[in-house]
Amino acid sequence: EENAGEEEGFEYGKGGFIEHACKYCGVANPACVVRCNMPSCRKWFCNSRGNTSGSHIVNHLVRAKHKEVCLHKDSPLGETILECYNCGCRNVFLLGFISAKTESVVVLLCREPCLSVNALKDMNWDLSQWCPLIDDRCFLQWLVKVPSEQEQLRARQISAQQINKVEELWKTNPDATLEDLEKPGVDDEPQSVALKYEDAYQYQNVFAPLIKLEADYDKMMKESQSKDNLTVRWDVGLNKKRVAYFVFPKEDNELRLVPGDELRLRYSGDAAHPTWQSVGHVIKLTAQEEVALELRASQGVPVDVSHGFSVDFVWKSTSFDRMQNAMKSFAVDETSVSGYIYHHLLGHEVEMQMVRNTLPRRFGAPGLPELNASQVFAVKSVLQKPISLIQGPPGTGKTVTSAAIVYHMAKQGQGQVLVCAPSNVAVDQLAEKISATGLKVVRLCAKSREAVSSPVEHLTLHYQVRHLDTSEKSELHKLQQLKDEQGELSSSDEKKYKSLKRATEREITQSADVICCTCVGAGDPRLANFRFRQVLIDESTQSTEPECLIPLVMGAKQIVLVGDHCQLGPVIMCKKAARAGLAQSLFERLVLLGVKPIRLQVQYRMHPALSEFPSNSFYEGTLQNGVTINERQSPGIDFPWPVPNRPMFFYVQMGQEEISASGTSYLNRTEAANVEKIVTTFLKSGVIPSQIGVITPYEGQRAYIVNYMSRNGSLRQQLYKELEVASVDSFQGREKDYIILSCVRSNEHQGIGFLNDPRRLNVALTRARYGVVILGNPKVLSKQLLWNGLLTHYKEHECLVEGPLNNLKQSMVQFQKPKKMYN
Amino acid sequence: DDEVHVRQKVAEVDPLEAADFDREFRALMQESLDSRKLELRARPTLNMMIPMNIFEGSMKDHHGREVEAESGDDTMDDGEGGRKDVPVTVLVKRGNKQQTRHMYIPRDCSLVHSTKEKEAAELEE
Ligand SMILES: [Zn+2]
Ligand SMILES: [Zn+2]
Ligand SMILES: [Zn+2]
Repeated sequence: EENAGEEEGFEYGKGGFIEHACKYCGVANPACVVRCNMPSCRKWFCNSRGNTSGSHIVNHLVRAKHKEVCLHKDSPLGETILECYNCGCRNVFLLGFISAKTESVVVLLCREPCLSVNALKDMNWDLSQWCPLIDDRCFLQWLVKVPSEQEQLRARQISAQQINKVEELWKTNPDATLEDLEKPGVDDEPQSVALKYEDAYQYQNVFAPLIKLEADYDKMMKESQSKDNLTVRWDVGLNKKRVAYFVFPKEDNELRLVPGDELRLRYSGDAAHPTWQSVGHVIKLTAQEEVALELRASQGVPVDVSHGFSVDFVWKSTSFDRMQNAMKSFAVDETSVSGYIYHHLLGHEVEMQMVRNTLPRRFGAPGLPELNASQVFAVKSVLQKPISLIQGPPGTGKTVTSAAIVYHMAKQGQGQVLVCAPSNVAVDQLAEKISATGLKVVRLCAKSREAVSSPVEHLTLHYQVRHLDTSEKSELHKLQQLKDEQGELSSSDEKKYKSLKRATEREITQSADVICCTCVGAGDPRLANFRFRQVLIDESTQSTEPECLIPLVMGAKQIVLVGDHCQLGPVIMCKKAARAGLAQSLFERLVLLGVKPIRLQVQYRMHPALSEFPSNSFYEGTLQNGVTINERQSPGIDFPWPVPNRPMFFYVQMGQEEISASGTSYLNRTEAANVEKIVTTFLKSGVIPSQIGVITPYEGQRAYIVNYMSRNGSLRQQLYKELEVASVDSFQGREKDYIILSCVRSNEHQGIGFLNDPRRLNVALTRARYGVVILGNPKVLSKQLLWNGLLTHYKEHECLVEGPLNNLKQSMVQFQKPKKMYN
Repeated sequence: DDEVHVRQKVAEVDPLEAADFDREFRALMQESLDSRKLELRARPTLNMMIPMNIFEGSMKDHHGREVEAESGDDTMDDGEGGRKDVPVTVLVKRGNKQQTRHMYIPRDCSLVHSTKEKEAAELEE
């Protein structure tokens, strides 16, 4: 009963298994396939040779020693077992056609014995031209068609060796698949991702096990998150649903609770209360780690109890299922993506294609800021190509550029445009910008997130359904009102309500110009029958390939991937899967395959002094400043920057690192204390808490800083509470006026861990608009080439300092020789 | 509209594999023939009369579509520039019941040649 209201799951696998698809190569054209008629077999095969000397059906018959076949019901002869017209012999190796002497009539006749019966000649049959059914190791092509070249190119490229192996396997396990041939053993390292793939089946063979590994790991992690002895505070939401508030402390492990996650709240019962449990969705998370959980059922909730609750994570496989399904469609559904995109994504050499479209006269769009030259160039070239990559370094306006692209695509009248990103935040931002151009936008949210507040609520499908004000909807409105008042409906009303709601959802979705959702959201059953020729994916460098594939396999003919492969990639929890390459995005692989990303070149975020190092180190010096020093001066803020007009410094720290209490993370006490001093100085000088971000690569340090500031901060506690302290990774895609970076690691012998990834350093350095303070140990950091460069840069600009904040002095600390980059 | 040109390495058939397949193919063919020859049963009774009603009026194929009765130019263009396919009636049996099916076969198929030649020969007589 917990699953009431869930619609997930019923569409999956649809189209994934076409029964009559060739068991070798997947070709499923009814004119090209026949079924082996051996009762223990009954498998379908096509009449193409692929890379072997006989056609697939003939290969099978020979290798399996099967001899009878049946035609497909949609073939010219209908569902027919091929047999001798005279004696009924079904051995296809003996059958051939003969024709009548005078009429255009043909029959199948066996070579032995019927063809040698002389009496037939007297019966008006011409026996001189017996035409064997199997000719040149292939069925007669006019009886069973050979798949077209295009069909064959998109099929699985099976080799003779694979055929022999799978035939061997079928002898003991008739249900085995080709995938079983490649399956690694339990303890084997999974197969690594490749640059190019023979076909989409091979692609699936590589990625499916990696997604499985990640899913298993995720499940294991989340299900081990039970917490007991929680104190709950009860409330009732606007929709009359029960909401439980409680603190769910985060461990050092990287599990991140997000709105929409499902938790099960339990009460073991006491003298006055029976045992109780209910599942709910997280609708809100505060910085203090308080969770708001909206319960699914409001009956029997022990609202007069506040202590002694337990909570577990309810793991759902939905997102992983959708990735697996996307890969399946990519392989078996020829209409999933255009031929050009199919071959390109697999790394086949495809002749360059241009999209034939009349280009707009101007490339900007109404409601958006004027585009700069590199943005105009990006929009223009994207509109002409079936596959484009746009690289948007920090602050270069990729959302505006994406919105302009979507605007022009929608105006081309090729149907609805699908716009996705891996994160909800990014989808919301894009939806807002696209809507500003005047296009009709529907933001589709997961059902579990409908209660989560969104900055673009008016664009969400669930909001539009509720506020579509026409008379035909009055029935739905009435039921909605009733549901809101009572919390629940009678089962017949609930049924009516659901079907009316579904119809309205469909109507609104169909009338939109643009659908916005997360990549995983594109697999929502409510979009099951939608096709999108044009798809734009923002933040695509932060999603795994299979995730990116979900929105693409809905009929894409033109795709735009926006992202920045010089910033952080997708987060992979399972080390084995990450090692095998699951962390490489499709964007990156396409870059490696030679697709040149179009780079946006003007940054509007950072003070020019702050953009200099990132531009030189990560973007070959191509980043130009769209903001001036004057625009990034903060009048009235009196902060002790060592060099005027250079709002940055590296604050030398010699404090020791420690292992955190959990044993899996690091912290650095003196650095934390200095972070507090810097924060306090900022606050005293007139900066407000929301302008400041403290970032650190370690969860141990993050927790320690939060704790330290709230206990030792010399100003009002509330000020420190409002200030955001987060990991580098969670800051990607966002900005703050002032950034304080605490590096933590300080040891002579070990590496610098997380800080070793240049992409993480890039993200950390490019979040600030007005000023940056870095705290770290130069002796340790300078061993790494990139950090050595950063330290040298700061030193050269007299921004490498030490001493008390009110009396900063240039540091004379010696750097170490950088070692070669290692990872 | 979805034309795509893939520059592909020419698929090579492994000669050893091909030879091995060929051997098995021949073996299966021989075994099939031998098994029939060894069958000691009597010569089959013939049951190959062409039903007379086949050519009466227009016929329906198994999809219920109308198929034109034979006429001189009842051919189907297969789209490859001029080569035409010709319609034939295929006799099949469902159990003991005779059924007719209709399909097209290429004009250059030996089956077509023989009927056309015969027709021409008969015309000359
Ligand atoms: Zn078989
Ligand atoms: Zn095949
Ligand atoms: Zn026979």
